[in-house]
Amino acid sequence: MAIYNGITYIEHKDDTQMIDTPKHNYIRFRLGRLKHAVWLRNRKSSDKIYIDCYDKFILDNIQPGKTCMFGSAGYYLGDLVADLYIVEQWEIVKQIYPDALIVDERTEIADEYGATFSNFVVNNNKGDRFMHGGPTDYCIEYTKSMTDGCLFFYSFRDTQQIFNRLKVDQVAYFYNWASSLRDICGLYLLWHQFEFVQSEDGMYNELENPDTTNGNLKFVFQYNDDSYKINDQALVQCQ
Amino acid sequence: MHLTGMLNNVMKSISGKEVIITKSPYLHKWGKNFKNIQDRFYPPNTLIRRQKQIEDFMYLNGFTHIFHAEEVRIGFEIKNNNWANSEHDADIILKTDQRLDRATCNDIIAQLDRWLDICPSLYVCLNRHYMNINNAPINLELSDDYQLAIAEWVKQSLPTDFVVDLSWDYIDTGDQFTWSIPDRHFYIKRQ
Repeated sequence: MAIYNGITYIEHKDDTQMIDTPKHNYIRFRLGRLKHAVWLRNRKSSDKIYIDCYDKFILDNIQPGKTCMFGSAGYYLGDLVADLYIVEQWEIVKQIYPDALIVDERTEIADEYGATFSNFVVNNNKGDRFMHGGPTDYCIEYTKSMTDGCLFFYSFRDTQQIFNRLKVDQVAYFYNWASSLRDICGLYLLWHQFEFVQSEDGMYNELENPDTTNGNLKFVFQYNDDSYKINDQALVQCQ
Repeated sequence: MHLTGMLNNVMKSISGKEVIITKSPYLHKWGKNFKNIQDRFYPPNTLIRRQKQIEDFMYLNGFTHIFHAEEVRIGFEIKNNNWANSEHDADIILKTDQRLDRATCNDIIAQLDRWLDICPSLYVCLNRHYMNINNAPINLELSDDYQLAIAEWVKQSLPTDFVVDLSWDYIDTGDQFTWSIPDRHFYIKRQ
């Protein structure tokens, strides 16, 4: 940060104090939680709920028991999953979904609920971004609140991870990262889907990647088990 | 599964609403006012440093007819400048448009080449997180340092042009306003 002629010049978001009001915090939350827009849409409809194919994919596969959605504005699935627990890191969510658990650190999830979840979902959470070598440390924390056999639905965007994009083959990089979690924290990779821009058909690309909303890199893991058979018909039918 | 289940092939929610399944909506809208929204997180008289860097570069190097290829509105205030309406009227092209960053590497270089044919001076801002968006192999000898690799890629792809890397080097953690003003800055001059 530098101050010159009364102007504060910043390079990082924490270089100077942000305005801390509910309105600003809500806008910041919305910018980073795309699925909040789904909740906004659905709450206006008295007889319909709109979800996308990846939501259907998750619903097709979740197991009996408790489901946790972390950092994903997951309350939009509140009318579709019976035993749903919403965990967020933004206090503002309490005003939207009073039942949400607000945490500062991921360790607090297991502190609050113990190892009780049969399903765990993290959908394109901006809080999981920009980790060297992938978000391994976060995954380790998530497993602490999972029962054996828990399904872990994890998705994010390649554009929000740190690696040398000009030298690294992303398919190998992220597949190897996901596979490594088995030995690190007991997460067995059951299924994955990586999607990238395919063609060189124009100078400008309006879209970032094929699924900016959910993340173009999708994984399903099972905790300390690898026996579950994934049903991906919902995604196949959407293509 | 904790769904209410299927009824005549119609999925119902727990409360009985009809569930409509759609393709993934494009919820992430790159609004042109993204930077304005981000600016309002801070008190007045706060400015992103790299915006000032560009403004000073243009003024101090005497550019007075700048064509700005823009997506996210930035709101530059550059002394002695009259914005050019087209590339052909400009003494420099300033590119902050991130739609180009989301193109393939080949398309990015092709566009830079086209611009340099029209106007010999180019100031390019590239978003490092969008490079090689299609995960294509790059057949060049590049550094393991990603920031350096981007500079090497630009220089090797435009071998007869004068390329100066004006970027700050740092680990980008998504907190550095890169989606408001892209972070890798190059001045390119066609000899």
